[in-house]
Amino acid sequence: MKTRSAWLSLVLVATIVLSLAGAASTQAQDDAKQLVVWTDENRASIVEGVGAAFEEEYGIKIVVQQMAFGDIRDQLKTAGPAGEGPDILIGAHDWLGELVINGLLAPIDLGDKAEEFAPTALQAFTYDGELYGMPYGIENVAFFRNTDLVPDAPETWEEVGEIAAQLKEEGKAEYGYVIQIADTYHYNPLMTSFGGYIFGLDENNEYDPTDVGVDSEGSIAAATWIDGQIEAGLTPGEADWDTIHALFESGDAAMIITGPWALERIQASGVPYAISPIPDGGKPFLGVQGFMISAFSSEPLLAQAFLTEYLATEDVMQQLFEAGDRPSAFITVADAIEDPDYAAFAEAGAVGQPMPAIPEMSAVWTAVNDAITLTFQQQSDPADAFTTAAEQIRTAIAGEE
Amino acid sequence: MKLAPQGSARGGVKPLAPFSGRVSKIALRLVALAILDAFALMFLTRLWADEVWFLAVSVSVITLGLNVFFLSDRFYPFRWFSPGLALIILMVAYPIVYTLYISFTNYRDGNLLRQNQAIAQIENRQYLPSDAPLYGWTAFGTEDGHYALWLVADDGSMVFAPEDDAARVVTADDPQIAELDEDNIPERFGDYERLSVFTVPSGFETRTFGKPPETIKIETQYKAGQYRQQYVYDAAQEAMIDQATGVVYTAKRGTFTAPDGSTLSPGYYVPIGLDNFKRLVTSDAIRGPFLRVFMWTFAHAILTVLITFLFGLGLALVLNDPIVPARRVLRSMLLIPYAIPGFISVLVWRGLLRPEFGVVNRMLEDVFGWAPSWFADPVWAKLGILLVQLWLGFPYMMLICMGALQTIPPELHEAAKVDGANTWQRFRNITLPLLLVTVGPLLIAAFAYNFNNFTVIRLYNQGGPPIPGTTTPAGHTDILLTYTYRLAFAGQRGADYSFATAITLVIFVLVAAITLFNFRFTGGWEEVSESV
Repeated sequence: MKTRSAWLSLVLVATIVLSLAGAASTQAQDDAKQLVVWTDENRASIVEGVGAAFEEEYGIKIVVQQMAFGDIRDQLKTAGPAGEGPDILIGAHDWLGELVINGLLAPIDLGDKAEEFAPTALQAFTYDGELYGMPYGIENVAFFRNTDLVPDAPETWEEVGEIAAQLKEEGKAEYGYVIQIADTYHYNPLMTSFGGYIFGLDENNEYDPTDVGVDSEGSIAAATWIDGQIEAGLTPGEADWDTIHALFESGDAAMIITGPWALERIQASGVPYAISPIPDGGKPFLGVQGFMISAFSSEPLLAQAFLTEYLATEDVMQQLFEAGDRPSAFITVADAIEDPDYAAFAEAGAVGQPMPAIPEMSAVWTAVNDAITLTFQQQSDPADAFTTAAEQIRTAIAGEE
Repeated sequence: MKLAPQGSARGGVKPLAPFSGRVSKIALRLVALAILDAFALMFLTRLWADEVWFLAVSVSVITLGLNVFFLSDRFYPFRWFSPGLALIILMVAYPIVYTLYISFTNYRDGNLLRQNQAIAQIENRQYLPSDAPLYGWTAFGTEDGHYALWLVADDGSMVFAPEDDAARVVTADDPQIAELDEDNIPERFGDYERLSVFTVPSGFETRTFGKPPETIKIETQYKAGQYRQQYVYDAAQEAMIDQATGVVYTAKRGTFTAPDGSTLSPGYYVPIGLDNFKRLVTSDAIRGPFLRVFMWTFAHAILTVLITFLFGLGLALVLNDPIVPARRVLRSMLLIPYAIPGFISVLVWRGLLRPEFGVVNRMLEDVFGWAPSWFADPVWAKLGILLVQLWLGFPYMMLICMGALQTIPPELHEAAKVDGANTWQRFRNITLPLLLVTVGPLLIAAFAYNFNNFTVIRLYNQGGPPIPGTTTPAGHTDILLTYTYRLAFAGQRGADYSFATAITLVIFVLVAAITLFNFRFTGGWEEVSESV
């Protein structure tokens, strides 16, 4: 029995010693001043480059952790409150509502630097009157046409319809303007062209969740127009994103609305194209990407200063623009863009509105997607489909407590 | 120390205790245990600090158990179970208990934090009294670790605010100023040296400068002033009190709410009893399409099992017949759909059936001039799902049927033949009953699996086509799980995890009932096999 207790005390002592050693080493790690940055693959090396220079100057390590862009939001929701999250993260402005109501972001003060960013980009990153992000890129969709089939950019959707009918009659193209099914994001420019909208704006120019415009007169007019196109066989009713791009690239469709992410494949297809604003002044959604600061950062001041002093420079913003395939939100970089395609996207985006970041938007996607599907598949009258969608959104937002 | 004989544990000899065996072996075992305990202890302190109670309890139970098993002779046999037991507690028991717990809270977007986290964040907010001036700031410090702020107002006036003394206005002719720059910031002020925002110590933004009541605080990188804490938590009335306006925000279901209905975010999660389950039963929005979805969930699971089983059985019977040539090659080829990950095959089918460019529809249109709209028509959409399920499921059924067919003694068939039974009679009265004995439980397991087959439906058509005119978005091919996924993650305020867990639990109960039924039912079949 004596040896037994000797062994037991050995276990106990060993356990305590090992735990203390472990605790001490984690403590040492925690004490070193550092900033953790979460970025996606495209931007990791840029932040690493800036971080190296920063570390050299101040001895503060910038730890870049790479993950898929879309994962950053979900990871932050679990890692942030657990104290395992980043100090700085990159993300899209439409995450704001979700992240802010969950208390995951700290406000950012850009000071005088704010003047160097596009005002729409800053507006997009503003939630409840506070700025939560430092933008680097703006993206939006624009109107593409096959210049062989449609030499001049149509000004109105009526014109688009006429061109489509004529092309079909002359046998030059199977379809006129093509749009994918169940895609509220790509449908919104068409909807807003006719005066429709998803959420109205309140007096502070922020989205008002009590003003749902999915069944407004303009929204139904837009749905009726596209319904007519499908009925006349000028637009396929059941095409997805890949299909409409394939149709456009093969010359079977003359017009399409898409974003800068499709430029590469359209150029590769060799189809002659030109980019112009949405007909009838349609407002594409603006998607803004930027850097945000976690509310759980232990070094909020340092994180903020790293953003304004080290990342908000023309050189870094130029690198981010080159890596990102989307027009810059930094005015001097945006003004220096010579590529006519990006200039055209910027022109189409001039009338755009930030994609709503309010959490109520999550009730919109499936409802409007379904209304689009029912209309496109010719299963419902467009007015019925969009009225149902609006009611579904209102029911969901009202909730039940 | 006495040395016990090695390797004699087998065959009824007293089992090896931790204190018998060679010293080096014992030491190794105990050191391993100590390392494990050390890790567990470190993990536990972390969990304790983060207030993750459930996981902390689970880890404690596991660690204690392992120690008892490895230190006591009495629990010797448990040593061999311990990894399995540990994993069951960690991966099965803990998630179930945790899910149960979450289903009784309002854990969802807007209420994700713990109460103390939410309070800390709200209490962190500051406001600037309307008459107080706003400054830009620069940090200053002495060599022996005293810090101060150099404040410059919009009009260029300067204030020096050390940590331990009252803030005072400074004029440009002050003798302590050295090298004033164009922004009215000096390089040195007396013993104080100018610091950059990157060289101040951690937590600099939480320090206060000057003397009460006129203390200066940093608000942002560019702003400082006589900021005051805006909200103070009053534990007695569970409320946040706005110091600037006096408004009282009372905690209501984890959200601080003012009398006029405005709220402070973030909220925190609180127990709300059975509300999530009540909502599942009483909400009109949810009940609307619920019955339809419920019926299709059953139809989908039953039909999927039925068609895959029948097709698989047919193939197994054919391949079991020695007159079929190249049976091995055929068998291997028929297993290919099983070997390809479902993720891929579902997407391939989706492409094949696509209306515009899909191969199937193009061919049908060329031949018949008509093709079904697989994604728009409710009936064809359901048939499409079943077609995909058939493709994914038949090789498995074929495989288990082939195995089961081997176990049926050929004498029975010969005897039946002698008695004059025809092929159908022999199949109906001998093959099928004996087959079902082995395959029956698997069929019920397959039913339970397809009852929750989220992946196929989500990947194939997301539950579409939509049902027109419903109170909440729903599709013709939505099963319970895809439907509730829409409800829980496309609700009014983003994701509603607690509601999702409540639904999961209801589905869990349903599936558990099916499993129970499975045991009973197969018990009955066993009697059949005995009487054959």
